[in-house]
Amino acid sequence: MADAQENHDWEGRYYHIDQILDAPGPRTDEGFMAGEGVKDFLRNQAKILVIGAGGLGCEILANLALSGFKDIHVIDMDTIDISNLNRQFLFRQKDVGKSKAIVAAEFIMNRVPGIKVTPYFGKIQDKDNDYYLQFNLVICGLDSVEARRWINATLVNLVDPENPESLKPLIDGGTEGFKGQARVILPTITSCYECSLDMLNKPTAFPICTIANTPRLPEHCIEWASVLEWPRVHGDKKMDTDDPDHITWLYTIAAARAKEFNIEGVTWSLTQGVVKNIIPAIASTNAIIAASCCNEAFKIATSSAAYLNNYFMLIGIEGVYSYTFEHEKKSNCPVCGGDSVSLSIKPDMTLEELIDLLTERQDIQIKNPSLSTPTKQLYLRAPPQLEEATRPNLFKTMSSLIPDGGEVTVTAGTLPFSLSLDISYT
Amino acid sequence: MNDSQPIEAATTSIQVPSGAPDAKTRRYDRQLRLWAASGQAALESARVLVFPATATATSILKNLVLPGLGHFTLMDDEIVTGADAGNNFFLDGFKSIGKFRAQEAVKGLMEMNDGVDGVADTRNIQEVLKSGAQWLKSFNVVIAHNVDSVILEDLAALLWPDTHLVVVNSAGFLAEFSIHYREHQVIESHAETSASLRIDQAFPALLEYTMSLPLETMDITDHAHIPYPVILVRALEEWRREREQAIGPSSGKGYPATSAEKKAFKERIRAMMRKFDEENFEEAEAQAFKCWTPTVIPLEVKELFDLYPPSSSTSSSPTAFAGLVSALSQFSQNNPASPQYPSGLLPITPTLPDMKSSTEEYVKLQKLYRAQSEKEKQVFREYLNKSLVDVDDATINLFLKNSHALKVLKGREWKESDPGPRELLTDKLTSCPKEAATHLALAALRKLKAKDKPDRESLKDLLTAEAQTFLPSGTELPEPEWPIASGEIARAPSADLPTTAAFLGGLVAQEVIKMITKQYIPISAGNAASSENDQLGVCVVDLVETWTGTL
Repeated sequence: MADAQENHDWEGRYYHIDQILDAPGPRTDEGFMAGEGVKDFLRNQAKILVIGAGGLGCEILANLALSGFKDIHVIDMDTIDISNLNRQFLFRQKDVGKSKAIVAAEFIMNRVPGIKVTPYFGKIQDKDNDYYLQFNLVICGLDSVEARRWINATLVNLVDPENPESLKPLIDGGTEGFKGQARVILPTITSCYECSLDMLNKPTAFPICTIANTPRLPEHCIEWASVLEWPRVHGDKKMDTDDPDHITWLYTIAAARAKEFNIEGVTWSLTQGVVKNIIPAIASTNAIIAASCCNEAFKIATSSAAYLNNYFMLIGIEGVYSYTFEHEKKSNCPVCGGDSVSLSIKPDMTLEELIDLLTERQDIQIKNPSLSTPTKQLYLRAPPQLEEATRPNLFKTMSSLIPDGGEVTVTAGTLPFSLSLDISYT
Repeated sequence: MNDSQPIEAATTSIQVPSGAPDAKTRRYDRQLRLWAASGQAALESARVLVFPATATATSILKNLVLPGLGHFTLMDDEIVTGADAGNNFFLDGFKSIGKFRAQEAVKGLMEMNDGVDGVADTRNIQEVLKSGAQWLKSFNVVIAHNVDSVILEDLAALLWPDTHLVVVNSAGFLAEFSIHYREHQVIESHAETSASLRIDQAFPALLEYTMSLPLETMDITDHAHIPYPVILVRALEEWRREREQAIGPSSGKGYPATSAEKKAFKERIRAMMRKFDEENFEEAEAQAFKCWTPTVIPLEVKELFDLYPPSSSTSSSPTAFAGLVSALSQFSQNNPASPQYPSGLLPITPTLPDMKSSTEEYVKLQKLYRAQSEKEKQVFREYLNKSLVDVDDATINLFLKNSHALKVLKGREWKESDPGPRELLTDKLTSCPKEAATHLALAALRKLKAKDKPDRESLKDLLTAEAQTFLPSGTELPEPEWPIASGEIARAPSADLPTTAAFLGGLVAQEVIKMITKQYIPISAGNAASSENDQLGVCVVDLVETWTGTL
């Protein structure tokens, strides 16, 4: 039986999809080559990369396989946890502890004949430009801002104006509870991930003095246990938030503190939620967002219909509310814009305070940056000799370091781009 | 929980019960953080019927099986074709060809969660409707994908109103769905608005405590830790007393109204600071608007008082929800626990948001709110007892906690919304032409399918002719929305695209979960208590431009 199905394209296999590929619709670009040409490209030539094999990734892989993409690569550094099973539908109880990328790839290949899924169990940062250049499209289903910024900047840097093939459309999805978003990024042409950094919700951070002195919420007690008590009691031993014994220890400590202060509501589950920064996640939202991402991938790969321009936002708490809009490119985006960011500061601000500002600003969010001017180094994190040599600058005022209108270049080891600042004094 | 344990024992011994969750709780952890154990229990006791076993149908089921639905039946008398094997992830590729579609799909679905009971039913729905129709009413929800109007009509008439019917239609990149129910009551709407702290109408114990504080002479550290509601109540009361002296006795319940008064009030708060950096006073200044935002009953809640009048609850046997609302209505008219402001209020919230304060002051304030909440709960209970409904304490607490965000939705009967009242459709063609055109095109396709297998060549014209029959004669179909919608459908009239199926699978499952758990707010035809802004209750999807809309 299997031999007879050599290329696995049994009769009728693409009955549904071919209705789209055989004829244009009212919103199809004139360049669409209905028929065999587009089918051959989709099924025999297109190569697509999926980043993340989790909640969105599982859905994305299944949708791509059914849509007719046959050469799919997937990267994920995570292993399967029991709490994934309420939505990551390619995984079973027996798979707990195994690589998500590998198990997902095997599942798809077993279920959908004739599809090749190549897994990579590791980090996106392990791969170089040549690796990313081989794909026609990249879809991201990630839960990490840092990883998204990295792949976004990498794909923007990859664009060579002389070579149209170097522009890799990036489709990015994300979910949180009943909310989610999907977007299409054409690196250097449309708004990129970095352009929209200020749309992210600010993470809740509790001031250390509240945690230490005036707890009011159960969360404050839990932070006390994890931020202050754990290092005090355990010294250098690292806290593993995936270890239930560690959570139990934190819970016990937090519950005792809560009792001391007459605060109610510390539970094991809340403790775990706070220390792991757990974001609620359900199958249905992931299905919607992943479907939207793959639908865009299909339309872009086949030119069979207009595609999303460029941002789809969904809120499913009250009815089905969604908003589709064009997110605008930022001219001073450190990744895809040419302009530098203007920063107006007080002349007596110290370099250290400036670094704090860069970390906190919603549109910048650079952790552990190194700073320099075109002529000198202001503060470098590494190597240790240079760090030591530039450390005294931290406490100097900005006006003593650079003149009004001066330029500062900011880099961070975790991100493949630099940000240039135009400093002016108020 | 070990909160009765002395602190020494708790910190030095690890012999305490760990509280670590069991395997099932761990599996469902990420969703329990949304709908909690109560929502999960509702989901686990629900029964859902889905037919036929299309890619869209199994996608919907996937998103119900994963979170742990109690039971599902997938009904389909057809045999897997090559086309099915190509677009349905829950069939086993070409190996499923020639076997029963329902049986093959149920196998694929059941692999995902052995806590779910799933049954393949290979009977024909029309046969079932003829004999054994009553059995269909044993389901809480019935979901039909791309089913023609003749079958839907019989089914809808049978199920209304006890079993919710979900009608899902799709063709190519276009899709829509609607849920048919009479009324849907939601206590836990998970609204983002929080309950009023009643700063403008402080209860006696709060007012008394606030006025007793020696602001000028108290310890400076304590002064910097007074929670902002206390500061605001104090400032407002002093403002009112001064005004009463100046203008007369009847003015004692007002609040700063003009922008000059508001500005002066904020300055008053600033002037209460004893050190320049007292963050609690800064917070009070930022929250000062609470003084001139009168605590009122939200209109949507007020409307419910008419929907469930107290008289009706004594005559017949009222439902628990009707009894609760009618008790709430009586409470809002007379609340002796708040003698200064006995009417126009909902029961006070027992929980406070976080605010700048010391633990001690915060807990003290929390206790005041909690004590008042207990008092008001007693008042509420007395009203409730008179209504002769039996409600457990947990439900009462839940109801009171959410009383500012109660929601009662109405749906439409299928007949009425197929595809909708003519006037409403005509309105919608003007106000939401894209959504309405898509909705009409899908309805026209469904009608055509019931008649005959439509010819693809002339399909666009047939759709236009069919759509005209839904509208008052002479109604013009919108340009360019109608040619686009009908053109998209004529391109792929019987295409159940994998991505459209997956998108719908997520959306429909999400709404069904909201119906079953009675949490969050599903799509509706409007508020049950009001005929303003009546809707069709249809959610429309266009996956070319990638938008969703509701009609």
